[in-house]
Amino acid sequence: MHTSASPEISPFLEVRNLTLQYTTPQYLVTATWNVGFQVSSFDRLILLGPSGCGKSTILKAIGGFIKPAGGEIRLQGKLVTKPGSDRGMVFQEFDQLLPWKTALENIVFAVTSARRIPRRQALEEAREWLHKVNLTAFADAYPHELSGGMKQRAAIARCLATNSPLILMDEPFASLDALSRSAMQEELLRLWEENRRTLIFVTHSIDEALILGTRIILFSPHPGQVRAEFTSVRRNVGQSLRGRELRERIEYLLFQDRVDYAI
Amino acid sequence: MLSEYPATKRPCSEAGNPGGDPADTACALWLNNEYTVAEAGRLPELQVHLSLVERLRQVTAVRKGCVVLILALIWQAYAMLLENELMFPTFSSALFALYDALVQGELLRAVGTSLRVLAAAYAVGVVAAGLLTVLALTSRFGSDLLETCTGMFNLLPAIALLPLALLWFGLGYPSIMFVIVHSVTWPMTLNIYSGFTGVSNTLRMVGRNYALSPPAFLFKILIPAALPQILTGLKVGWAFSWRTLIASELVFGVSSGSGGIGWFIYEKKNQLDIPFVFAGLITIIAIGLLVENLIFNVLEAKTIRKWGMQS
Ligand SMILES: Nc1ncnc2c1ncn2[C@@H]1O[C@H](COP(=O)(O)OP(=O)(O)O)[C@@H](O)[C@H]1O
Ligand SMILES: [Mg+2]
Repeated sequence: MHTSASPEISPFLEVRNLTLQYTTPQYLVTATWNVGFQVSSFDRLILLGPSGCGKSTILKAIGGFIKPAGGEIRLQGKLVTKPGSDRGMVFQEFDQLLPWKTALENIVFAVTSARRIPRRQALEEAREWLHKVNLTAFADAYPHELSGGMKQRAAIARCLATNSPLILMDEPFASLDALSRSAMQEELLRLWEENRRTLIFVTHSIDEALILGTRIILFSPHPGQVRAEFTSVRRNVGQSLRGRELRERIEYLLFQDRVDYAI
Repeated sequence: MLSEYPATKRPCSEAGNPGGDPADTACALWLNNEYTVAEAGRLPELQVHLSLVERLRQVTAVRKGCVVLILALIWQAYAMLLENELMFPTFSSALFALYDALVQGELLRAVGTSLRVLAAAYAVGVVAAGLLTVLALTSRFGSDLLETCTGMFNLLPAIALLPLALLWFGLGYPSIMFVIVHSVTWPMTLNIYSGFTGVSNTLRMVGRNYALSPPAFLFKILIPAALPQILTGLKVGWAFSWRTLIASELVFGVSSGSGGIGWFIYEKKNQLDIPFVFAGLITIIAIGLLVENLIFNVLEAKTIRKWGMQS
């Protein structure tokens, strides 16, 4: 599968000149402008940027939920036009689990709908996934009986269980308290080590980006444009000297526009 | 560096960060004391059973039953003072009348007639509401139609249509059906539709993520997600239709000699069998309570309350 433009093998995911807009009753809102980046297989790519810069919008476009106003998104060379289970999505909102299904049934539903495998096998796999995210004891609990962190863990398990090669996460830990948040970050890295996929992770926290990412794309404030691209050298890079420089550089890039504005 | 501090008085950040960067210990904290917490066996019982009386007082049905009993006693006392069996019979004579009417089968027949009409009209109303909603969800014209119609006809009391129904369908049950269908359809449509449109965008995207077919999306995402409002719609529809039925039967509820419960009351009043009128009223309340508590409350408890979709 080759793109018509380039003779070499197409990247796993390619976002080219992506402009995304919302039509509201009064305005045409441009959320992102002319965004381009590439993702290789097994990257943990972080989309980092201030609130409202269009990170979620980009992620939804990759998920196929929003049609581009300009540019295109290609997944393994194929144009993305609609949602599909080859891209698993984890949302920021706690209400993403179906409230009428137990944690286990949520995963079973995802697995049977996305992969169309028999229920028996789906049940077995769902139990395994619950075990991997330490929710075995809560298999039969309904979402409203779970804490925020547990809900997000169940949502991550549900997403991974569908075997999507591309995982899209939209600030899944943003509404958690600091302790659960760092526990969840560790857990996500562990899951990723056990079961490698390509991950695109949206956050507005520099720390989270440095902990989780192998690559970081930095966006300018609204309307989002690519401001910088980073590749981190190793894990826990936030602690090392190189990491500190990186962080300062990111902070500078993120807040520079604001300082300019203040002057 | 560690030797500078006694074993238990060590900066926490250093304990968690051996050989750490000096900048990280800039705001070090000292661990002054550690405590052991009581184990499960030495704590007070975490769950203690309440006494029987306490538990009964927690049951709403018991408390409400007491209220009903008190009201019945007041009724009885007042009617006995009044001594006017024709205008205001005692509670006990109403109960005897109820018993008589039940034993003779007259009341049960009337209730059966009423409920049969109601069930048919209710079913028509539910189907109509469902069709209108599906139309509204699939086309702009449909949603305009639904919003306009519910907006107008919701304001029209069903009883106001009785004269027209009389003109079109004559005396008897077709007229009553017409009026009840009207009373059920609009509030139910409004509730079901607002339930569907209120389904959160996140849940919709979850469903679309799995590329569900439109019917699967409807039955596996939209309907369960909108169930709280759907149940409200069914409940409101039931309440409206039950009232409308009784009212319209009072006006013209007889066909080929078998009337409903409204007709039963009307007839008994004409025969000046006033305790039977009260027996009829009690029956209406009893059936209303039965349907609300047995059917709707159980339905809600097994679904939306269990799922935490309604507090
Ligand atoms: N449904 C919508 N309708 C109109 N404008 C929207 C909508 N969703 C987001 N926007 C606008 O698009 C911009 C980007 O939003 P979003 O992608 O949610 O930002 P982020 O996720 O980076 O915080 C914001 O300015 C926001 O106001
Ligand atoms: Mg966002």
